[in-house]
Amino acid sequence: MGFSTIIDILGSIIIGGILMTIAWRLSDAATEKTYNNSGELALQQNLATVAQIIEWDFRKIGYCADWNKLPDPTKAILYADTSAIKFLTDVDADGNLDSIYYYLGPTSELLETENPRDKILYRVENDETPAPSNLGITRFYMVYFDALGDSIHLPVANYGLIASIEINVVVENVAAYDEKYSSAYWRQIRMVARNLKNR
Amino acid sequence: MGGKASLFVVAGFSLVFLVIANNFGTVSNRSVDNYVDYFSETTAHNIAISGANIAANKIYLDPTWDEGYDDLPFQGGHLDIEVNTVDAYQNIKQIVSKANYRGDTSSVRVTLAPSKFSKFAYYSVYEGGSIWWTNNDTVWGPFHTQDYMRAYRHPVFYGKATTRKKLIYYSSQWQDKPYFYGGFEQGVDLPLPTDGVDNIEPSADANGLKFTGEDTVYITFDYDTLKYRFSYNDPDTAVYLPTVAPNGVIFAKNSIIRIQKSYVNGQYSIVSSGSEYSGKGNIYLDDDVVFSEDPRTHSSSTDLLGIIAQNEVLITDNEANHDDINIQASIYCENGGFGAENYDSRPVSGNINLLGGIIQHTRRAVGTFNSSGPASGFSKRYKYDERLLVASPPMFPGTGSFEIVSWLE
Repeated sequence: MGFSTIIDILGSIIIGGILMTIAWRLSDAATEKTYNNSGELALQQNLATVAQIIEWDFRKIGYCADWNKLPDPTKAILYADTSAIKFLTDVDADGNLDSIYYYLGPTSELLETENPRDKILYRVENDETPAPSNLGITRFYMVYFDALGDSIHLPVANYGLIASIEINVVVENVAAYDEKYSSAYWRQIRMVARNLKNR
Repeated sequence: MGGKASLFVVAGFSLVFLVIANNFGTVSNRSVDNYVDYFSETTAHNIAISGANIAANKIYLDPTWDEGYDDLPFQGGHLDIEVNTVDAYQNIKQIVSKANYRGDTSSVRVTLAPSKFSKFAYYSVYEGGSIWWTNNDTVWGPFHTQDYMRAYRHPVFYGKATTRKKLIYYSSQWQDKPYFYGGFEQGVDLPLPTDGVDNIEPSADANGLKFTGEDTVYITFDYDTLKYRFSYNDPDTAVYLPTVAPNGVIFAKNSIIRIQKSYVNGQYSIVSSGSEYSGKGNIYLDDDVVFSEDPRTHSSSTDLLGIIAQNEVLITDNEANHDDINIQASIYCENGGFGAENYDSRPVSGNINLLGGIIQHTRRAVGTFNSSGPASGFSKRYKYDERLLVASPPMFPGTGSFEIVSWLE
């Protein structure tokens, strides 16, 4: 074994080591990026789902297929607070009035997820068991506006004052690589439930 | 040997990069798809709403419009609009607006019903100069004025409030802004018809009770019996209302009606026509007019009364009305207003306890006040009869157009 052979072996070891280091870092970075990107995709899908569900329900505030059962739309909102709202609607469009109650649970309910800030958004139809959805919601809050477009101070003295609603939802990953949580934000600047303006 | 190893290394890394790039590309594509889907659904929904608004406006301009649209290009999508009459008897219409945007569909259903003036808790064409709605005023049902709406120190409107002109504050928005619990819109033009009373006459001819050629008709509702006479000292003639006025219309042509203490059982409209220059077409309330069953204590009460005058409806200045008057009716004054006779010279007369609504051309006074309280006439205690949102006295004048009663999107 000559000197040049030793040099070849040492060179191979060094080059191989560099390549292995690159491969190892590449794997780590790829895992992180894949995790984060997939997480962001899931996050975005969650946000879109939440937005669609909320829009679907909120647009029907005060609706009833049998309009004689809710002739006065000012009575459609039963309760309204920062992160909770209860209103009358007709979920199945069957002419029977239903109530829907949205509220956000505390963070202590979701200790099994890694994200310390996520909460469960509940949707309660009539007196049924609350339907929880864990979509990584960290904030769900509303701002209420009167008929002249001015914001209403909370607590709302009379729910009939509410003419439009600003809805805000912030969603984060329920778990993230190295706890680097991504977040996405959705805001419906003025949700006007058309039935509130009837009559 | 070294060359082959290099090729394997390069090929290996290329494969790894390809897989990762493909993965990232898929995530990116799905992310964009997500946005595009939400955008498409939202756009389709907005197109459907626009279609419903277009059709509603068409019906507002022409109540007979039912042509709809078929495959109408709109905002990059397409619209199909149908207008159907879902209840021919009540003339209930439904607009169905369906939108298609890049394969996403959305639909909006709007139900419209003929609009009657009786739905208003308060309506006026002219607010009588510069009368202000004050912090002592509360309107419990729908409100409309064709005049300016003047607000002083936060009046309260529980129903939807609309004005053709605009809202005027006495001092500033901060000090005077009304509480609108049912919404508020400006620029809503809803004129009072000039033939609302005349249009009732054919119904009186057909299946109602009609008086003609009498200067004054004294009328008493005694549950199912109607008593009438043509001069104060005459004896009453009694008739059974369901027989003589099956459609509920009692009409005095070119005459004055004086309503005595009455208990109304059923649904009736009492109408007085005549020229204001001849002093006809007025209705005087000589005493209380109430339902046989008060809907506030009997939720199943179906009693309704329309007091419909071509000109004025006035509370008579007499002994019976010097200590409160109870009125349960929707009052309509086509050319005049609802007020109290001798409002500024009669004694302090207690309260007008009204359950119903007032629809009038010109706002009239019912009393005067000074710094120590009422100086003459009445104080107002008006409550809205919420049943008027879904029911109206027989043949009560309509607005000639439809109102949206239900909107499904």
